[in-house]
Amino acid sequence: MATAAVFPSPIAAAGTVRFLGDEAAYWRLRIKGAALVVVTLGIYRFWLATDVRRFLWSNTEISGDTLEYNGLATELLVGFLFAIAILVPLYMALALVALELDMVALKPVLTGFALVALLGEYALYRARRYRLTRTVFRGLRFDQHGSPWRYAIYAIVCWAIVIVTLGLAYPWTQAFLERFKMRNTSYGDLQGRFEGSGLSLFLRGLPLWLLIVGPIVVALGVLSAKIDWDTLSRLIDKGDDAETGRMIGQMLAPGIGVSVAALAASFFALLLLYPLFQAVKLRWWISGLRFGDIAVTSRLRVGQVYRVYLRLILYLFLLGLLAGMMGGMTVFAVVGIVRLAHNATLTQVAAGVISVLLYVVMMLGSSTIYQVIVAAGLWRLGAETAALSGEAALDGVRATGSASSALGEGLVDALGVGGI
Amino acid sequence: MTLATDSSAAEIAPPRGAAIYFDGTCSARNDVEVEAGTAGLHIFGADRRLLDEWLYAELRRQASPDGVLRLGRSGETLLARLEVRDPAFAAAIEDRAVTLDRGGAAERRLRRKVVILSLAAVVSLMVTAIIGVPVIATRLTPLVPISVEQKLGSAVEKQIRSTLDSKNLGAAFSCGSGASGAAGQAALDKLVGKLKAAAALPYPLRVEVVRRTEFNAFALPGGHIYAFQGLIDRAESPDEVAGVLAHEMGHVAHRDGTRTVLQAAGLSFLFGMMLGDFVGGGAVVIAAKTVLRSSYSRRVEAAADAYSVAVMRRAGGDPRALATILARVTANKDEGIKIFEDHPDTKDRVAAINAMAPAGATVPLLGAADWAALKQICAPSPAAATAPPGTATTIGTTAVSGTTSGKASASEPEPAGGTNAGGGQK
Repeated sequence: MATAAVFPSPIAAAGTVRFLGDEAAYWRLRIKGAALVVVTLGIYRFWLATDVRRFLWSNTEISGDTLEYNGLATELLVGFLFAIAILVPLYMALALVALELDMVALKPVLTGFALVALLGEYALYRARRYRLTRTVFRGLRFDQHGSPWRYAIYAIVCWAIVIVTLGLAYPWTQAFLERFKMRNTSYGDLQGRFEGSGLSLFLRGLPLWLLIVGPIVVALGVLSAKIDWDTLSRLIDKGDDAETGRMIGQMLAPGIGVSVAALAASFFALLLLYPLFQAVKLRWWISGLRFGDIAVTSRLRVGQVYRVYLRLILYLFLLGLLAGMMGGMTVFAVVGIVRLAHNATLTQVAAGVISVLLYVVMMLGSSTIYQVIVAAGLWRLGAETAALSGEAALDGVRATGSASSALGEGLVDALGVGGI
Repeated sequence: MTLATDSSAAEIAPPRGAAIYFDGTCSARNDVEVEAGTAGLHIFGADRRLLDEWLYAELRRQASPDGVLRLGRSGETLLARLEVRDPAFAAAIEDRAVTLDRGGAAERRLRRKVVILSLAAVVSLMVTAIIGVPVIATRLTPLVPISVEQKLGSAVEKQIRSTLDSKNLGAAFSCGSGASGAAGQAALDKLVGKLKAAAALPYPLRVEVVRRTEFNAFALPGGHIYAFQGLIDRAESPDEVAGVLAHEMGHVAHRDGTRTVLQAAGLSFLFGMMLGDFVGGGAVVIAAKTVLRSSYSRRVEAAADAYSVAVMRRAGGDPRALATILARVTANKDEGIKIFEDHPDTKDRVAAINAMAPAGATVPLLGAADWAALKQICAPSPAAATAPPGTATTIGTTAVSGTTSGKASASEPEPAGGTNAGGGQK
């Protein structure tokens, strides 16, 4: 690691944000952690998460001083066990209700889904509080207040609105939720707030939305124009499902080409524009952060984010090549064993073990690559392109707040809705 | 003792170095000079004024970037920090404070302990899954009321019907309706009636033939048995059909479906909730569940085979008919992957059935006319013409070629685990 990086000149660093982390060290941390997570069937994940946060926090330098993560893996483990204690009876109750009402059908499933989604948002908010209260900067901790239930309800309503508006309302809901989060966030006695406006994100995102959702809307319009609604409604009245299905198929057949083309166009637009979306959103978010008189601005450029995703594709390709070669060799070996052993059960077990292993290597490998290249890469980019103004206020912040429980983290983990 | 005046016996001056100090109440950065005394650190401000004194015993290392020693004090609600960036001075402090875990040996020991304990937990969970879960499920099964079992069955049934009903055969999913179907259904009812009388099951039984070309049959919790058209087509005598149905009745009588649901719930809890919550962990969990389920199911199948033999003997049919059809279907299959050629499981089952059942001539359970009617239960079925058994779906291939439940469950979506919940794979 460059020694120059750890002796920053305080004057030059005023108001600047830097990331000091060495990517090779992060690769080592992630790969070793992934191996231990597999070996322990997942129990090690709490320690890996803690190491990762320590690394990311410690190497993020704001105005000459680095952040510090002082959470403990055992806190995450305890939070997880708490979450299990809450979720198990809940899941059992849901299963019993479904069975008792004799409906494995839509309603209980939807209710259960909504409940779990609500709990997930609740957990995300509490997990954020845990992370903030474990974040130390210049001897003071961050803090978060606000009711997690209220946040969860807001978030669910926001998601519903986003779905109904086909994503058009996304910028405003994001701005709303972010305002709620930041309004309840503080660094010592320095109050946070969020000043990103939904409109500005909307204006930047609208071309993307048109390119991605537009083709689908056009295809839907073309298809609905082809349907003879009168005939269809007569058929539905008759209640002949098979005939109705056949008729719909016949009416839509000429539009199949259009809709396939539209879906393909939409899909490629999504693939091509996703990094752009990430860049726009990240820049908007960082530039909206405020703490008292301190404002953050981001100079993140779209090309930088595209470079991150291109690297991701390259590394995933290499991983695929490697796994393909490994797979080829193991299949070769298995065929050899079969010839020797003539034992079907043994062969099955061997083939099963090898394919599961290959799958795990592929999945964990791609997840590790994603974490290092994209998650940490965007963290680094976000930090390095950010600048503070009014940072003089950083010198006179007073301490408040205390640490919080890791229950939210545990729920996040048990529900599988996590982040970093 | 006062920390500030511990130089009494020291000929050599205690090491000093520059550091950055945050007092924990205010975010202001203080450039300080620190003296590493005998009992602790003395922190001096710019004007040589003593700002703070930290005992070595209360020093704790905090997360920091490489090349920075960041110190905090234990048992403090305030988060005062001292950052030392001079490596030589940092080493001098580490030499004096054992709590700082120089080189991270204590941390590595702790991590090793975590990994070893986790491995122990994994082993213990495996043992619980292999031995504990089946035992508990077996004990709990009799406690589940029949009414709950029937509800469970009808819940699973909806899902299974929609999964299995391919809807492209041009006819209703169930056989036994229409002109020739009604006669077939009557013959089936007669056959099932004889088996029921011999078995004396404590609760109602329903047998249905459905349009699927695979060789298969299964029982759901609550006593609903599904026989596939492929089974009727391949059977060469009524006793072969009866043997298979009696096997399924064995699953119903032993309440294997309910037990399998309980086992699956137990396994899901053990593996899904407690472990495996990592990317790719799902595959490990599914693999583990599949292997465990097939190991449970081998015992369950053997018990159902024995039940079939007993019922067939009591009904006066050929108790070996089940073995006959199993052996024939396995031998006749000409599709599938060559690697999975021979089926020790089926061979073992056939041998076990033949060992239990005495050989000898028996009268078929249905007369020639009834048998001909039963063969036609799915009669106006274009499926037989358009989809010969060899070209069946993946599930079909597996069902015909593989006779362990493990493989069948691997090829089916997880929610349809109810098929296995029936435990009634042939």
